[in-house]
Amino acid sequence: MPEQYAIEMRGITKAFGSVVANRDVNLTLRQGEILALLGENGSGKTTLMNMLSGIYKPDRGEILVDGKAVSIDSPEDAKRLGIGMVHQHFKLVDVFSAADNIWMGREKSGFTLKRERYAEIGEMAKKFGFDIDPEKKVRNMAVSEKQTLEIIKVLYYGAKVIILDEPTAVLTVQEIEKLFGVLRRMKEEGHSIIIITHKLNEVLEISDRVAILRKGEYITTVNTADTNEQELTEWMVGRKVDLNIDRPVVEKTRPLLEIRDLTIKNDEGALAIDHVNFYIRGGEILGVAGIAGCGQKELCEAIAGLRPIQSGLMIHKGDNIVGLSPKAILEKGISMSFIPEDRLGMGLAPSLSITDNMLLKNYTEARGPFVDRKGGREDARRVIEELEVVTPSTETPVRRLSGGNVQKVLLGREIKAGPNVIVTAYPVRGLDINSSYAIYNILNQQKEAGVGILFVGEDLDVMLALCDKIMVLCHGRVMGVVHAHKTSKEELGLMMTGALDLTNKYEDKPAGYARDTNITDEELRELERREGEEEQP
Amino acid sequence: MEMDKLGVVTTFIHNIVVYNIPLLYGTVGEIVVEKSGSLNLGVEGIMAVGAIFGYIIGCYANSIAVGILTAFAFGALCGLLFAVLTVSLQANQNITGLTLTTFGLGVYFFVGNGLKAVAWPAMNDYSGIKNGFADIAIPGLSQIPVLGRGLFSHNVLVYLGVTIALVMWWYLNRTAPGLRLRSVGENPGAADSVGINVKRYKYIHICLGCGIMGIGGYYMGLNMSGSFNSSCWINGYGWIAVALVIFANWNPALAILGTFVFGFFNTLRVSGSSLAAAFPGPLGWLAAIPTQLYQALPFIITAIVLVVTSVRKREDSGLPAALGLNYFREER
Amino acid sequence: MRFHVVKRDNCPLWKKLCLYVLAVAAALGLGALVLLALGVDPVSYYYRMFTMGMVGNKIAYKTFENYLKVFVPLALTSVALSLAFKMRFWNIGGEGQFILGAIAAATVAFKLGPVLPGAVTLLLMCLAAMLLAGLYGAFVAVLKVKFGTNETLMTLMLNYIALYILTFLGETKADWNFYLDPNSVRPIFASFSDIVTFPKIPLVGKFGLNVCVIFTLVIGVLVFVYLKYTKQGYEIAVVGDSVGTAHYAGMKVNAIVLRTVFLSACLIGLAAAFKVGTAGILSTAITDDVGWTGIIVAWLSQMNTAIIFLVSALISMLRYGSTVAAATFSQVDSSFANMLQGAILFLVLAADFYTRFRVVPVQKGGKTNGNG
Repeated sequence: MPEQYAIEMRGITKAFGSVVANRDVNLTLRQGEILALLGENGSGKTTLMNMLSGIYKPDRGEILVDGKAVSIDSPEDAKRLGIGMVHQHFKLVDVFSAADNIWMGREKSGFTLKRERYAEIGEMAKKFGFDIDPEKKVRNMAVSEKQTLEIIKVLYYGAKVIILDEPTAVLTVQEIEKLFGVLRRMKEEGHSIIIITHKLNEVLEISDRVAILRKGEYITTVNTADTNEQELTEWMVGRKVDLNIDRPVVEKTRPLLEIRDLTIKNDEGALAIDHVNFYIRGGEILGVAGIAGCGQKELCEAIAGLRPIQSGLMIHKGDNIVGLSPKAILEKGISMSFIPEDRLGMGLAPSLSITDNMLLKNYTEARGPFVDRKGGREDARRVIEELEVVTPSTETPVRRLSGGNVQKVLLGREIKAGPNVIVTAYPVRGLDINSSYAIYNILNQQKEAGVGILFVGEDLDVMLALCDKIMVLCHGRVMGVVHAHKTSKEELGLMMTGALDLTNKYEDKPAGYARDTNITDEELRELERREGEEEQP
Repeated sequence: MEMDKLGVVTTFIHNIVVYNIPLLYGTVGEIVVEKSGSLNLGVEGIMAVGAIFGYIIGCYANSIAVGILTAFAFGALCGLLFAVLTVSLQANQNITGLTLTTFGLGVYFFVGNGLKAVAWPAMNDYSGIKNGFADIAIPGLSQIPVLGRGLFSHNVLVYLGVTIALVMWWYLNRTAPGLRLRSVGENPGAADSVGINVKRYKYIHICLGCGIMGIGGYYMGLNMSGSFNSSCWINGYGWIAVALVIFANWNPALAILGTFVFGFFNTLRVSGSSLAAAFPGPLGWLAAIPTQLYQALPFIITAIVLVVTSVRKREDSGLPAALGLNYFREER
Repeated sequence: MRFHVVKRDNCPLWKKLCLYVLAVAAALGLGALVLLALGVDPVSYYYRMFTMGMVGNKIAYKTFENYLKVFVPLALTSVALSLAFKMRFWNIGGEGQFILGAIAAATVAFKLGPVLPGAVTLLLMCLAAMLLAGLYGAFVAVLKVKFGTNETLMTLMLNYIALYILTFLGETKADWNFYLDPNSVRPIFASFSDIVTFPKIPLVGKFGLNVCVIFTLVIGVLVFVYLKYTKQGYEIAVVGDSVGTAHYAGMKVNAIVLRTVFLSACLIGLAAAFKVGTAGILSTAITDDVGWTGIIVAWLSQMNTAIIFLVSALISMLRYGSTVAAATFSQVDSSFANMLQGAILFLVLAADFYTRFRVVPVQKGGKTNGNG
């Protein structure tokens, strides 16, 4: 008797225009198991699950729930079939209370709203083992609370199959433990769970089986107990990965950029960066590691002049760059590129051509009132050639380029300007292995040319291989700056969660201060004076 | 002499309501539409369509109830057009709304002038309409001196307007469908994910809101005391309604208050001279103000209100977060 | 059979054109139905409308001149509006800016016309109109930039304020009011066409081409070049596409917005100067709804300068043609043009859907038949 799966997907294909997100994918989910859906960014995991939750419709293929073929045309259908999904970007109404976010989907809700609904939701949540304040407005909730609310929501609607999309991306270590406890409990109560992730350690910890996708294609499914990190990585990326990233040894210069006692506020008014000291030398790659939201974005923006700082010094080759306009900072040779999650938000104008985007930072240099498109076209051609960008022409609008190529254009433009300090954040986000290597090579070339590089990244393995030193941020504070070849992933992980503080490892030298500093004594005195003022009541 | 002065004040208060109830209809209707996430700039045109068809068909049927229902139906029809274009066909909401304004006004003049050339129904010839539009005094309350006649002795459309405003407030804030509507306007993705039919909610409430606006237009037509002449149109009330929505913080109950505030200044235009005559000492200067300033006053006030509300950014703003954005489920 | 809507990657130009032409044809068809309902023969009506009554008309040249008088303000205003729209600044204040421009031009005509030579007066009229209209628009831009005030509603309010200023000038008989005809007891606007007027270049027979037409075409070319090849045009493109990127590139976004809105309003003022300078007299209906029509034209042309001229030419034909036809077909009020215009836009918006999306049939339950 063939085993009846809770969910079976056969031959699923889905394309968006010319981009094939899923090609002929098969997936099975057993009753009462936790299945990890593993793959790199862009492998098609979310797209596949969105078809189970009714947001997308497959172009081809079939879906079976409890052995029966079904057509999931809308989230309503998914709900009725007992499938619930907790998305990466929460689907919650900020101005509503927790209770209302759940209540609004209730089919037999009555016509009028009664106050009793708060108590009812609160009771329901307790039955599932959660403790929430039903009257609390979502906009006042912390991220983990919102996630809990999303989980309660799907349980409330009777989901037997629960899908979680990268749930740990925004959680601290303790919260992740708590979540895993919840998942194990739900499994005991008979739910079947799919967890989308790209983190191997989590896969090994929580899942019963692992299904792997690579570039939209289905690779295989294995029992978690029978596999290991190396094997999983191989399946994920397609070949044995001995991260063979070069780390050339280069003679370093005096510090190009020194950050002293920097404090920055984020958009909500909280402290994003809290009295941070560090420096970057020419010919050196300094990595910045930290959980999402530990202040990296604000730091990059501040250095580029896009965000005002509360206090502190930023000295570039002896000059204070605090308060300078973004243009002035560009002229000093500091170039910043930040790849946000949607990859097109910052730094590129999506509807304009590659040529026009090349002009973005130096269009004012052309003489007269006209823009120099010829120069821009030349730059575009060079970048396309050197970085092997896949595009029909130099005039193609940037938004038509596929993921990795967009980033190549962006980085290419930054480098073309001949900077002496490069601040780059997530430059390989969503890129496949080959494109990523191309980026690493570019960065190494710049390093060899004497450029100082600040590299904000997510992948610790990459940073351990590529960077010379790694600085770890946690809640806006520096937990330590360590030599990459002397540290380990465990040590970095501990620093990222705040469990390990190495800032005062060397008592003779204050952390983050370069011996051959460019900061003048008077600037230092001015800073100390201002700090003294700050501390007054 | 004293009675005269009181009479003038009473009439003034009476007029505030009379001349500005169309604003209330327009505002409440637009609130309903905007709460569903759609910004409808066609209010002016929709009110005009409601006006012309409600008036003509109401007169021929000799019933004010028929007039009201017709105005609602034609307003809702315009709403349907807006909904089809912006919800199903993903058209830009601003452009669709603006075109609806010129189109609606075009229909108004086209039908009106065309009919005028042939046979234009005069309101006073139809007793059903004339009587239907007469003032109804609320027993008890209307005996209060000054305020009584001013506030509680009005025609049925005034009472209907206030009732609709209060009912809509209750609907939006105290009912489950109202909750779901608000979720559609705040985060259609969230609403969709719990199984709310986003399209259906938008369609229904756009039509409902536009129907309400239509009734407001009908009232404007009736209010010209039988001299409704379609070669003119009271310019701009539709736009003031769109601004009033912001002023009332998307709250239909507050819209009533907003209408009164506006009404006060607007009515100065009509009653200014009589007020000046009755109180020559303190208010004599009212007569010297040119009519055009009075005509411009509602817009000047709205402009000031717009600036003031944008300076004070509110935490508890009723602005629907997804206002003006079209929802497309497979948006990548 | 159920349907499923999918976004399209790209739509070939020929397909787009076909769809739009179909939309316009459908609108005309609907109009024909309305005409039939009124007992009017649509063919003869449309014939009269599109030829603007020039066929077999002894004074056809006059008709063409009148057509151009509609075309010039519309084309210029639409171009002006597209500048603001490109930056997602919804300048709905075309009407108000036009009115103030007209008032400024008329003021100069009355006050300086008798004193200065004609050409100088005309130039000053244009400059005054541009300045006043430009400031009227820039005012709203400042509010938007500083306080985030909704520019759509604000410009709308300013429209009506300007209208009532004009009405005030037109209805208040007083000693200071030099705008009014001194010989008339009732307040009517005075004419200054004998003091100063835009000259015409005689071409064929009795037909004279108003210089404003030439100026407008020249300005059209200048704006095209400005947007495509200059640094400021580049800035407009970037700001309109992605404000975040503009900031990141060090552009002073607020200054760019202000500058462009000012320019946009200036051009509208210039259009007003052209109109008033040719007509020689103010009127409360001086705008002829050009502020509204311009929005529709700009949108239909997708903010492309060259296409704007084409679409303006067609829409002007429609508008002027319907006033001409109204004389012959008295049942058809000239507001038929507004209805037709609206219908065209609605149908084009509907057609636009098919250029951006595809509708795919879906079989229920089980294997779906994809699109390959």
